[in-house]
Amino acid sequence: MDLNRLVSYSLRIGVFASALLSIVGLLVWSAGGFNGVVAIAGSKIAGTLVSAFSGNDSGIIYLAVAVLIATPVFRVAVSSVYFAYEGDRKYVLISLAVLSMLIFALVSGYAG
Amino acid sequence: MRIFLIELSRGDISKVPPTVVLGPVDVLIIFLVSIVAGFVGALFGLGGGVLIIPFLTLVEGVPVPLAVGASIVSVVATSSSSAATYVQDHLTNLRLGMFLEIGTVAGAITGAFVAVFLPASALFILFGLILLYATIIMIRARGIDFPANVRPDKASRILALGSQYEDHSLNRVVKYEVTRTPLTAFIGYFAGIVSGLLGVGGGIINVPTMNLVSKVPVKVASATSNFMIGVTAAASASVYLLRGDVHPLLAAPLVIGVAGGALLGTRVLKVTPPTRVKVAFGILLAAISLLMILKGFNLPVVL
Repeated sequence: MDLNRLVSYSLRIGVFASALLSIVGLLVWSAGGFNGVVAIAGSKIAGTLVSAFSGNDSGIIYLAVAVLIATPVFRVAVSSVYFAYEGDRKYVLISLAVLSMLIFALVSGYAG
Repeated sequence: MRIFLIELSRGDISKVPPTVVLGPVDVLIIFLVSIVAGFVGALFGLGGGVLIIPFLTLVEGVPVPLAVGASIVSVVATSSSSAATYVQDHLTNLRLGMFLEIGTVAGAITGAFVAVFLPASALFILFGLILLYATIIMIRARGIDFPANVRPDKASRILALGSQYEDHSLNRVVKYEVTRTPLTAFIGYFAGIVSGLLGVGGGIINVPTMNLVSKVPVKVASATSNFMIGVTAAASASVYLLRGDVHPLLAAPLVIGVAGGALLGTRVLKVTPPTRVKVAFGILLAAISLLMILKGFNLPVVL
């Protein structure tokens, strides 16, 4: 498979999964009578993500957002594996540089 | 564990997230508007935040942090949805995009680090003026999308950045070279700083830079910018998420709407002549650069 297809599929699957989860989340929300929903911060998000699996509406939507944020990161990771497989050293370095900066940003909470 | 550490380092454990009450009608309206935002974003290589933030704050009365948080999440969706199509159609220059991402992501991180020291207003005025200048060049040179006989620079040759795409409006394969790559990467770094600082600026700066400095055809510039901004926005989105600035009832309709709108935008870009793309982009660019300058003078402009 060529790189264009690989990248395209990675992005497509991520967006599709995220949009589908968002739809399910909104349906659950409407089935529950449009109850008030609030934004959640920090360490509480982990618990909310887990609540998605027991059918909590905002949990499902937070899962959608998490899948969405992971999509471009996954795309860069897939690209670096592809370049490594192809033996294209210059682009392995480039994609790994982007990936490491991204992980740094995600872990440290910088890049706001 | 990681989330916990970030909370401690930010010291905002007790922070109460801003709230907004949303009903089914609001969600429906946000969904409809986000289709338009996704369409425009995909067409011009922007996130669409320039439309979403004013709409959410001015029309829906959403507090600014929540509007920005929702907008940045929708940028990831617009970017990923449109790039999926553009990459498959070989309209995106993958190699150029990945190379320039080094600059924009590094810039976004720098922006977050130096936010306190940098005069944000000066940056706004500076970039507003540069973009206004870019608008004039873009519209005056609308007939020539990219000049013939472009000589690739050294970096461009080493990284094999020159490429080609099939233009469905011209019914031919367009071959192009990429030149002055270091300058474009350098400007991309500052575009990253601006977007890291202020949440806008990535796409709106990258598209004219690629087109006017590096002589990349405008449709390729838009498709490549769409591809790049997802990465920068993903890094920012995680920060907003942890801060509690991502509201589920804003995020869900936005993600669904922009993902769909972006698909429509990609279809339109494919069949639109480059000249028309340049003029339309120029008009949008003029409006945004004026808003940036006004904001730089601390006038109450939502951007």
